[in-house]
Amino acid sequence: MERRKGVERVKLPLTALRDGESGIITSIKAGRGRGGGRGGRGWGFKKRLMDMGLTPGTRITVVRSAPFHGPLEVSVRGSRLALGRGMAERILVEIKE
Amino acid sequence: MTERKLTISLAGNANVGKSVIFNQLTGLHQHIGNWPGKTVERAEGTLHFKGYTIDIIDLPGIYSLSTFSMEELVSREYIAVERPDLVINVVDASVLERNLFFTLQIMELETPMVMALNQMDMAKKKGIKIDHKKLQKLLGIPVILTVAIKGTGVYELLERSVEITEKGGIKPPEIKYGEEIEERIKKIAKSIEKIQFTYPARWAAIKLLEGDEQIRKEIREINPEVLATAEKLAKEIGEIHGHFCSDVIISGRYEVAGKIAREVQQIVPQIRPPVRERLHTLTTHKIFGYPIMIMVLLSMFYSIFTFGDYASRFLSDLFYGWEPIIRSVFGAGIVGELIWDGAIEGFIAGVTIALPYIVPFYLILYVLEDSGYLSRIAFLMDTLMHKIGLHGKAFIPAMLAYGCNVPACLGCRIMETQRERLLAAFVVTLVPCAARTVVILGLVGAFVGFQWALALYVIDLLIIFLLGRIAFKTLPGEPTALIMEMHDYRVPHLKTVMTQTWFRLREFIKVAFPLIIVGSLVIKVIGILNLLEPIANILSPVTATWLGLPAITGITLIFGVLRKELTLIMLATLLGTTDFAQVLTPVQIIVFALVTMLYIPCIATIAALTREFGWKRALFITVFEIVFAIVVGGVTLRLLVLAKIW
Repeated sequence: MERRKGVERVKLPLTALRDGESGIITSIKAGRGRGGGRGGRGWGFKKRLMDMGLTPGTRITVVRSAPFHGPLEVSVRGSRLALGRGMAERILVEIKE
Repeated sequence: MTERKLTISLAGNANVGKSVIFNQLTGLHQHIGNWPGKTVERAEGTLHFKGYTIDIIDLPGIYSLSTFSMEELVSREYIAVERPDLVINVVDASVLERNLFFTLQIMELETPMVMALNQMDMAKKKGIKIDHKKLQKLLGIPVILTVAIKGTGVYELLERSVEITEKGGIKPPEIKYGEEIEERIKKIAKSIEKIQFTYPARWAAIKLLEGDEQIRKEIREINPEVLATAEKLAKEIGEIHGHFCSDVIISGRYEVAGKIAREVQQIVPQIRPPVRERLHTLTTHKIFGYPIMIMVLLSMFYSIFTFGDYASRFLSDLFYGWEPIIRSVFGAGIVGELIWDGAIEGFIAGVTIALPYIVPFYLILYVLEDSGYLSRIAFLMDTLMHKIGLHGKAFIPAMLAYGCNVPACLGCRIMETQRERLLAAFVVTLVPCAARTVVILGLVGAFVGFQWALALYVIDLLIIFLLGRIAFKTLPGEPTALIMEMHDYRVPHLKTVMTQTWFRLREFIKVAFPLIIVGSLVIKVIGILNLLEPIANILSPVTATWLGLPAITGITLIFGVLRKELTLIMLATLLGTTDFAQVLTPVQIIVFALVTMLYIPCIATIAALTREFGWKRALFITVFEIVFAIVVGGVTLRLLVLAKIW
């Protein structure tokens, strides 16, 4: 996703952040298909992310991303987590330009 | 009062030092088993303290009490329904906020509790200062400072725990959400109180607002009206906040946790990154991370095989030294043969082959795990494992499988869902274990050439990849993603590593040994009845015609079911020579080794699979791998003949 210039706040998937950049979580998409419904796996993983502290309004920092399209290392609420890239793509963040 | 008994359970996030506290409290008086009907581990231990017999239950390390995993379900059911006298919540002081989120959830279950604020030394090193008295006041539960690895505070923790239960257990105070939420929680709780629900009413009300599947189902069965009301109220909350109600509740709980954390902790930013941080940066580095990982793994395998080889020889010399004595006791008749060649040989094989490799393997594995390096490996390997529908964590059992498939199958429990566990276990059974390595190196490596042995490994990797991918596409369900904490590097706690190794080893012996011994007995009986030859003949269309091997190899492949390296030993016995080049062509050697590598998980692995996934799936994997190995072996034979290398 591109960063639009002139706009003060932009919403991006977490994967668009560079290493070391941080943003505020605005929402997490529950994922597609059958698993996205309530009680499905997609829902479960959204809930798990929130249980790990990734709730809307929380500051999240991408510390580094693993090569070959690998997972991201993020820092959130003082803890260090590894998030699969597919998962991270569903986390939308807002950054101040 | 004749007998004073207490039940205390330990609860907390993963990697907070919970198992260290458990070990400090119970020592070797532990029992590790499964929760009834679940493949979730249950660790239980006892200790005596001030006239009490205290039962300690170590609950699995989890981050929440929702329905995400079996571990979470088991834990909350245990706390809410079985009601231990007290819950000790072990908290990592260096990640206070996230840990408090879990603390608040235990408090919601209205069980008497004490907090062990652990790893205070780590927090201090990270520049985090915590005012534990203030924390105690804000939470309304006793907070004890501990440094479990040094044993600091553990005695006091126990003392306070007993003290609280003597007072009849103090119910922790309620966590207050926003007013608009509180109002609705109370309404729902009131209607739940009327229907006599197993769980505390307020907790169940909160769970309904969170959209908890299990609680919804249970309430629906008793009184669907209560559920309808709760859904209506949840919708209202959702509309007020503009988010799903479940998100609002979780955020609300985190808000409380965050507020408390900010009030009690002072963080002094560090000027220079400490060694463990620099180590973390290096080991997860885009470029350097991989060579470091390969070096660590290679040196791990090298030392395990060197030690294993030495120990194996030493032990078998020791045991075979006893052979004449035991033989003379039982005589040379059928009884003696059965006892020595059947039962005792089986036992010796288990001890001399499996143990020398498994003990160091577990030791090193737990050192790597406890230090935090395994999670870095999972981080680096995530992309690769995704190709077969698994995520980074699955690399750990796969690695373990190079030592032995049995613990690797049991180790697949680290995966979150049953589907992933099965998929990982299937992949694991295709990994050449130490015994298969012995066959490949001893046959192909020694008589055809090292590069051909290496080629077999590469072929195996390709097969794993291919079959893993097919299994991933055929098994129903969605692939899951990696969500894993990478805790700070730390020096592993030796005592915990040792006890873990010991209990794993015991589990291995329990699963594998009976079958290895019974299996050897059965084969011995077949031998005594002179049935080996007829069986080899029955198998000859497969072995001789399709695979192009001497018919006698059918017998060795049967023996191989017990332990794979027996194929090599039996081959030498039956062919009457260890110079295999004299009796087998290079093509035959390669085909034989390839089939041995693939054809079946050994009997102990089948036992482990049965235990984890039921006999149907175990049987399916077994039959599939036999057929698959035969097909691949035959095709390889024809390709090699066509290639005319020899």
